[in-house]
Amino acid sequence: MRELVTLQVGSFANFVGSHFWNFQDELNGLAEDPYADPVFKNQSLNMDVLYRSGETHQGTLTYTPRLVSVDLQGSLGSMSSRGTLYDEGSSASSNILTWGGNVSTHAAEPHKKNLFLQSLYGEEQENSLTFENGVTGGENPRTEIHDRDKVESLENGVQYWTDFSKVEYHPQSLYELSGLWVDPQKFDNYGIGRESLSGGLQGEEISERLRFFVEECDHIQGFQFIVDDSGGFSPLAVDVLESIADEYTNAPVLLYAVRGPGSSVDPRSQKQRVSRKLHDAVSFSRLSSLCKLIVPVGLPSLSRSKASTFLWINDEKPYHCSAAYAATLHSLSLPFRMEPLGPTADSSYASGAVTVNEVVEILSGQTRQNMVAILDAAMPAPSLIGNQVEQTLLRHLQPLTPEIAKDIEDLQSVESISVHGALGPARGQRASVSEVKDMVHAAYEHATTRPMFCHLSVAQCPLPIPLPFPSIFGNRVGQHGELLSTPIIDSPSRGSLDVHSIPMAARLRSSSAVLPFLENRLGSLRSFGIARGAPGAELVRSWGFAKDELEDMGEVLSKMITTLDPRSQMSSDSD
Amino acid sequence: MSLRVLNPNAEVLNKSAALHMNINAAKGLQDVLKTNLGPKGTIKMLVGGAGDIKLTKDGNTLLKEMQIQNPTAIMIARTAVAQDDISGDGTTSTVLFIGELMKQSERYIDEGMHPRVLVDGFEIAKRATLQFIEKFKTPVVMGNEPDKEILKMVARTTLRTKLYEALADQLTDIVVNSVLCIRKPEESIDLFMVEIMHMRHKFDVDTRLVEGLVLDHGSRHPDMKRWAENCYILTSNVSLEYEKSEVNSGFFYSNAEQREAMVLAERRQVDERVRKIIELKNKVCSGNDNNFVVINQKGIDPPSLDLLARAGIIALRRAKRRNMERLVLACGGEAVNSVDDLTPDCLGWAGLVYEHVLGEEKYTFIENVKNPHSCTILIKGPNDHTIAQIKDAVRDGLRAVKNTIEDEAVILGAGAFEVAARQHLVNEVKKTVQGRAQLGVEAFADALLVVPKTLAENSGLDTQDVIIALTGEHDRGNVVGLNHHTGEPIDPQMEGIFDNYSVKRQIINSGPVIASQLLLVDEVIRAGRNMRKPT
Ligand SMILES: Nc1ncnc2c1ncn2[C@@H]1O[C@H](COP(=O)(O)OP(=O)(O)OP(=O)(O)O)[C@@H](O)[C@H]1O
Ligand SMILES: [Mg+2]
Repeated sequence: MRELVTLQVGSFANFVGSHFWNFQDELNGLAEDPYADPVFKNQSLNMDVLYRSGETHQGTLTYTPRLVSVDLQGSLGSMSSRGTLYDEGSSASSNILTWGGNVSTHAAEPHKKNLFLQSLYGEEQENSLTFENGVTGGENPRTEIHDRDKVESLENGVQYWTDFSKVEYHPQSLYELSGLWVDPQKFDNYGIGRESLSGGLQGEEISERLRFFVEECDHIQGFQFIVDDSGGFSPLAVDVLESIADEYTNAPVLLYAVRGPGSSVDPRSQKQRVSRKLHDAVSFSRLSSLCKLIVPVGLPSLSRSKASTFLWINDEKPYHCSAAYAATLHSLSLPFRMEPLGPTADSSYASGAVTVNEVVEILSGQTRQNMVAILDAAMPAPSLIGNQVEQTLLRHLQPLTPEIAKDIEDLQSVESISVHGALGPARGQRASVSEVKDMVHAAYEHATTRPMFCHLSVAQCPLPIPLPFPSIFGNRVGQHGELLSTPIIDSPSRGSLDVHSIPMAARLRSSSAVLPFLENRLGSLRSFGIARGAPGAELVRSWGFAKDELEDMGEVLSKMITTLDPRSQMSSDSD
Repeated sequence: MSLRVLNPNAEVLNKSAALHMNINAAKGLQDVLKTNLGPKGTIKMLVGGAGDIKLTKDGNTLLKEMQIQNPTAIMIARTAVAQDDISGDGTTSTVLFIGELMKQSERYIDEGMHPRVLVDGFEIAKRATLQFIEKFKTPVVMGNEPDKEILKMVARTTLRTKLYEALADQLTDIVVNSVLCIRKPEESIDLFMVEIMHMRHKFDVDTRLVEGLVLDHGSRHPDMKRWAENCYILTSNVSLEYEKSEVNSGFFYSNAEQREAMVLAERRQVDERVRKIIELKNKVCSGNDNNFVVINQKGIDPPSLDLLARAGIIALRRAKRRNMERLVLACGGEAVNSVDDLTPDCLGWAGLVYEHVLGEEKYTFIENVKNPHSCTILIKGPNDHTIAQIKDAVRDGLRAVKNTIEDEAVILGAGAFEVAARQHLVNEVKKTVQGRAQLGVEAFADALLVVPKTLAENSGLDTQDVIIALTGEHDRGNVVGLNHHTGEPIDPQMEGIFDNYSVKRQIINSGPVIASQLLLVDEVIRAGRNMRKPT
């Protein structure tokens, strides 16, 4: 077993992470639930890769994510940053033992728990006999009504990522940034983040939290790092990445740079547009220089993208968009926790185990050293039914990475695909691992453009849909994620009460299709930051970047571009 | 958290409105902080929306917990926090002083005076006060053996503004002794060499000084000893972890045997490193029953732990980077980055190493060291917010002792300095100033009194009476501060109430700078840079 430590930095990163851990929590629950679908029993997935076992002072055993999450103060809603597991008993805590003089109490308006959280914590107190995993059948009308209310309260009322979290976190996991004195609305560029964090001890404190989780690892395989790089969190993530590079030199970082849809809305004023473009360029340059593989995730409008063909997403809701991205990240993380069985032996539940480092090697360590990967997803993945299944899968895999080229031919592209829970070819049954492997291989046989190399991981276990998952499925998605030939008419979208699990496919792709993404950033950097009289020259200087630093960034970006397209040699005489 | 300051939606205003907004923001922040000040101040319990508790009597901590959005307030808060970064104390006084400078100015400005004139007066007054403080300060001769009594008095003064007396007094000895422990002649004091460790435990009075080091982790092998006496300590930064896949492409082996061979070769290299450590252990421990402890900054994987355990070695992995330095200072020896030339000289020594377990938390105590230049303050408290508050106080105490040693001077406290400086400005300096800038000097002088006034107010005393008593006694030629029990003048020297010279100096320096900036606004600084409407 090789442990994976997860970091989530920034607001949207935590939304994504919250869903991600909900999936894991669901899997943990289902594995112990005697009534659950047997496919969840023997998952051949080792959860210890992502989770740690611990013990409270009272001797209660705990199982919590190996996670450090960072967000602004006040972003935890009704969840205590210490979590509830290691509660020290509230009675003792209100006594003041250190001061004999006057005391004044300043209590913030308590955050009211929503219906979902109320029932979650209420249930725990009553200590229900069986673990309630959230996926309730339709048999009991009373609980169903109850669940409908919960789901509805989430649909209408999610404000914080904690509102829909059913996970118990370790007290070391949730770190709040205090003393920044920024309006979260305005924490929207690299400069603001850098300024408000300067001189603070935050970086050091976060590193200490990280050390707590790493020290426990017998043999860490790497870090899964999710950063909301749409604004002020980027420089903080850069600090943390630097300290990881220093301290854990050989542990690779797989970096997901995620964005909610709102953040890419084109601002009205020229000044803000320049700031945004420069932020994008600078943030990407800095982050990519400190990890092994960077995956930009987040479309300007997820709802209108091909990736949501079978989804019903409201772009305004981070709760919605983050769910889709989290599902994909979950799929990509499966191979990291499959037990390696040696090169020939295959479990009937899973195959294609890799470590983070191996994925990095596959994608970026080939003839071409490209470390920016494109993320594609098929949510849900199509069933292996019908005569043209091969094409369907590849067609369903649609990008979640913005600003990339469509339909390009890249003979040197490399891919790593993870497919799990696929249905068919026998109707209503899950495909065996070897059926899926055969299908994917066949798909590439038939494909017009084919990657140079593709690594495939397959698991039988589908994505479980936990109760607090948003209603983002379209009305052609069935209970097990099968695609219905006729839509269900009574409602445009379906949620966790209707859809209990779905098959998923996700792919990381190293391809020259990412060129526009890189060229846009290089272009912005040059024309807004470096060129003579550039409209943002003063601005980036105020962010703490000297001209030669910008030029170095430009240099690195243009190297990334030439790696992918030796002919390009973007004109470097723009200044 | 629970305290908000003023309306964050600042818009562009005309000059006078802008000025008044600045004044109000400064006064607003002053109001929030003033009850904090001094040994009779109020401790604040902040309860967050999810029930999280924070406890603080410290200006710095309180400011950081506030969600300040007013740009003027942010400027002041930044100055105060910088005050703490630079000198370690005096944040509350800084905020009060800036607020009071603004308040005093308001009077004159409302009468039609131009802020520029006041600012000129501030500048004169500031320079005069900085000169005055040189005369006023009490020199402390440090030499080879610092005067422990004076160090204790300074530490006690500061600690008693944060903790009840008995606890403050107990910690006084601890902070003084720890600074003296790490102090090296002719070198500036690096307070990072005092580790502050905490443990959740029923009683806060159990806080103690460990001459040696406490690490917040233990060994990771069941067979390693939990208690060992007479220990050699190896401080290392060497990977004892098999890392093949990180260094080499682990994926594209042409065949399984090749892969197998690579794995074996890499494993052998790690084992080799472990073997060298074991060799050294055998060398120094043969023929005696001494023990051998490895504290490693990098990882140690289970096979390596096995080998070490079998050789009777205790090993800890992933030690804090700073502990590498501290260990060497505490135990001697040197930190090694490679096991190639290990010699017994690399090793440090500790009389006792033992592990303490609390739930899942493990602590390793490295004690009974010979001549420690690093030590640990182990704070015990029943819950996190109590621990955090004690920790803040300990930091203040440490800084106070360090400052005293480095300043080679202290300042009489309890408002004595402020009263004396004010009288000096009003009686001596003012008359040397031409024209209306005099009024700026006066405003500055009166603003200094905010400290004794607030001390009096927080003690439930009448501020007017107190100020009259203090200035009167001062003009009779005595240096006096406030007895916070009775309101009578006292001699702070007799009572042992001393503040840091550098702290006071810094307050006098930065207060008027920021106040002047706020007075000379042409246009109010708008909230943030981007005025995008929140959606
Ligand atoms: N026993 C005492 N009697 C009267 N005044 C005292 C006494 N002890 C300390 N003081 C005064 O209290 C003031 C310091 O109070 P306090 O430590 O609460 O605030 P601060 O140092 O300005 O800010 P902070 O410590 O919050 O950063 C100093 O002016 C000091 O002289
Ligand atoms: Mg103080």
